[in-house]
Amino acid sequence: MSRASSRQLFDGYLDPRRPHAEAYDEMFDPVDGVRTAYKRLHDSLQPLQPADLTTRSEALDRALVDQGITFSLSGEERPFPLDLVPRVITASEWSRLERGVVQRVRALEAFLADIYGEQQIVADGVLPRRLITSCEHFHRQAAGIAPPNGVRIHVAGIDVVRDEQGDFRVLEDNLRSPSGVSYVMENRRTMARVFPDLFAKHRVRAVGDYAVHLLRSLRAAAPGVTDPNVVVLTPGVYNSAYFEHSLLARQMGVELVEGRDLLARNNVIYLRTTEGEQRVDVVYRRIDDEFLDPVQFVPDSVLGVAGLVNAARAGNVVIANAIGNGVGDDKLIYTYLPEILKYYLGETPLLPNVDTYRCWLPAEQAEVLDRLDELVTKPVEGSGGYGIVFGPDASPKELQAQRRRIRANPRGWIAQPVVQLSTVPTKVGERLQPRHVDLRPFAVNDGEDVFVLPGGLTRVAIPEGSLIVNSSQGGGSKDTWVLAPRASGEDAELRGPGLATAAVKPDRTATPEQGPELNVAQQQQQ
Amino acid sequence: MNWRLRVVHTTGYRYATAVTQSYNEARLTPRHDDRQNLMVARLETVPAARAYKYTDYWGTEVNSFDLHTPHTELKVIAASVVETSDQTPPSAEVTWVQLKSPEVLDTYAEYLEWTSYVPKHRELSTVARSLRRGSTPEETVLAVSKWVHDTLKYQRGTTGVHSSAVDAWQAGEGVCQDYAHLTLAMLRAVGVPSRYVSGYLHTKPDAAVGEKVVGESHAWVEAWTGEWWGFDPTNDISIGHRHVWVATGRDYADVSPLKGIYSGDAATAIEVTVDMTRLA
Repeated sequence: MSRASSRQLFDGYLDPRRPHAEAYDEMFDPVDGVRTAYKRLHDSLQPLQPADLTTRSEALDRALVDQGITFSLSGEERPFPLDLVPRVITASEWSRLERGVVQRVRALEAFLADIYGEQQIVADGVLPRRLITSCEHFHRQAAGIAPPNGVRIHVAGIDVVRDEQGDFRVLEDNLRSPSGVSYVMENRRTMARVFPDLFAKHRVRAVGDYAVHLLRSLRAAAPGVTDPNVVVLTPGVYNSAYFEHSLLARQMGVELVEGRDLLARNNVIYLRTTEGEQRVDVVYRRIDDEFLDPVQFVPDSVLGVAGLVNAARAGNVVIANAIGNGVGDDKLIYTYLPEILKYYLGETPLLPNVDTYRCWLPAEQAEVLDRLDELVTKPVEGSGGYGIVFGPDASPKELQAQRRRIRANPRGWIAQPVVQLSTVPTKVGERLQPRHVDLRPFAVNDGEDVFVLPGGLTRVAIPEGSLIVNSSQGGGSKDTWVLAPRASGEDAELRGPGLATAAVKPDRTATPEQGPELNVAQQQQQ
Repeated sequence: MNWRLRVVHTTGYRYATAVTQSYNEARLTPRHDDRQNLMVARLETVPAARAYKYTDYWGTEVNSFDLHTPHTELKVIAASVVETSDQTPPSAEVTWVQLKSPEVLDTYAEYLEWTSYVPKHRELSTVARSLRRGSTPEETVLAVSKWVHDTLKYQRGTTGVHSSAVDAWQAGEGVCQDYAHLTLAMLRAVGVPSRYVSGYLHTKPDAAVGEKVVGESHAWVEAWTGEWWGFDPTNDISIGHRHVWVATGRDYADVSPLKGIYSGDAATAIEVTVDMTRLA
C-alpha cells in the first residue's frame, strides 16, 4: 500500500529526460537513493495518498490566506505560494554555510568602511578606482559618515545556490534592504500548523526569534544611548513588503513609521507622537537610498525625511542599513570578492562565487558575446530577476538586442554559465516533482557577532525546468529546515512540553524561544 | 601678483507664502591651496540658524542648516577673506598617448564621464576633435576654451540652472555655468580629464586697495594634463589673483552653492550680490 502510494507520489521523479537532469537533487542521490538528510521526511511522505497531499496543500493555502501573506506580482497582490515539502539542511552543511556567510559579511563591512572612508583598497591598487566610481549605488553623499559601532550591514541576505556537486555558491549579496525574512517566519508558523507530525520527527532549529536578534543589533548600533529608541521606517502600505515591515515592528515592539512621522531638527531626528516629540536613535529603514532624504537625493520624494542623512553624519542617529551599501552588492564588484576577502581578512572564500564573466573587461566581454546563447546575462544593478536573459532560451533576435545592450554599457552587465540550481521535491499536481531552488540566509550584525538565522528563504521555481526563482517572476517558497546537531542544546521547533512525542529527548539546555504565535499553533494540535 | 580680497556673498530665496520648515546646504567657503590662502570665513543666515559643518566627498566645506520658524525670505551671507595669487603655468605635460593609459583613465574616470549637465554630443565631439588636431593636450584646452568663448554670447536669462552644455550651445548664449559645462563636454570628448570650478571673480583688474566692486559668483574649468590647472572660458583668461575658488566637481550639481528643501509654495531666488573688496 505504502509502496504503491510512493510510486504515485514520486512517480518518474528522477526521469533522466527531465530538463537540467545533471542538477543536484537534495532528496535523491541517483545511485544511493534517499539522502540521509531527507530520510525521515521521505519516510513520512511515502505513506501519504495523493489525496492526503492535496488536503494538506489546501490547508496550507488556507492558512496563508488567513495570515494575509501576499506579495505583489506586477502590481497584483497574490498569496505567496508555500510548497508543502520542506527543504532540509543538515547541521554540518549549515555550519559550513553559516561560516561562509559570516566571513562574507565581515569582509563586506570592512570594504564599505574603506570605500566611504580612505579608500585604501583603491590606493593600494587592489581594485580599480573606476570600479567604485562607476557603481550606480556608490553614493558620494555617504562619504565620511562613520556609524558609531562601525556596522553598516545590520541585515544581509546572501543568496546561495547549490551547484551540480551540491556545493553552496553565492549568487549575489543583498546589503541594502534584503526582504523575505517574514516569509521565513510565517512559512514556519504555517507548516507547524499543518504538519505537526513532521516536526515531531525532526529536530528543526527555530527561526521565530529573528526579531530578537534584529532588535539587539539595532540597539547596539545606537549612538551612546542607554535605552535607544528604534523605529522601522516604511514607504507605506502600498509597498510590496509592507507586511514584513509591520511584522518586524510588531515583533520588536517598536514604532512602525512613515517619513512624515519623523522630523529632523538641528540634526536630531524626532518622532511626532500625540504626546509630543520623541527622540529617535536608530532608523531601521526599508526605503531605498534614493528616496531617503530629499536634501541629498531625489528632491521631490515624500517618502523620506529631510535632513536624515546629515543627522546620521553628525552622529545623532543611525540609519540601518547604512546609505550606500549598494556598492557592496553590485554584481560586478561581487566578482572581486576573493580580492576583497584577501585584502581585508587575509582569507580565501569559504563560499565560492558562481563563475562570472565581466563584460567591462574587453577579453571577457568578447567571450560573453561569443557564447551569449549558452550564458545567462544579468544587469549588475538588477534585482527581482528583471532584465536577466537566459541565452539558451532566447531567440536570435533577443540575443542580438542583448548584444547591443552589452556593447552600449559593458559596466552594466555580467554573465554566468547557466547554474543548474539544485532541486527539491515540490508538489506539482498530485505528484512530487524536482523543482529548482535557491536560498537566502539572513545575517544580522550587532558589531560583535554576525548571527545567521538558521533557515532562510528557500525560493522555488514552479514551472518545469525553470531556473528563475524570484517571487516577482511567479516563484514560490519552501520552509527551510536546518536540523539541529544530534545531542545538542539547540532550540528546536515545537519541542515544548505541550507536545508529547516519543522523539523528544530531554537533552536541551536552553528553553525554546517561541513566539506567542507558535504557542497558539501548539494548542490547536492538542 | 598677490591680492588680499574680502568677499561678501549674499544669496537666498523669497517665498510666496510663509515657509515653516527648510533644510539647506551651502557650499560657499573658499578653499585653501598653493594659489589661495583662506584667512577667515563666516556664514550667517537670516533667520538665524545653527550651521553644521562637514567636508563632502569632493573636499568642499558644506554648511548645513535647517529652519523651523515661519519665514518668507531666507538670506544667506557668506563672508570671507582670502589671499590669492596668479596660477603658475602648468609645468608637467602629458601626451595624448599618456592620457589614454589605463592609469590615467582609472584615476580620473570621474572627470571623463558624461553627466546630465555635460552630456555626450556627436557634433560637439567632432568640433573638439578638429580643435585637437596637431595640438598638445594643453594647447587643446586653450583652443577649446577660446572656441567656447567665441561661440557663446554672454547673456543672462536664456539658460537656467538646469540647462546642459548642449542646451546652451544650441541657444548660442548662456552664463559662466554654461561656458564651463560646454568646455567640459568638449574636453571630455577628446579625453582630457576636466572638472567644474565654482568660485568668485573680482571684475576690476585695476582696483585700488579698499575699493569695493561688484563681483560675480563665477564658474570656470580645470583640466588635467599632467597636473590640474584652470582656465576661464567665459572671459578667455587664465586663472589669476582675481579668481577665488570654492569647490570643484564633475559639474554644477556637485558644487551647487546653495540648495534646499522647504515646505511651501514656489520660491524665487533673491538677488545675488557679491561684494569684493581688495584689501591688499
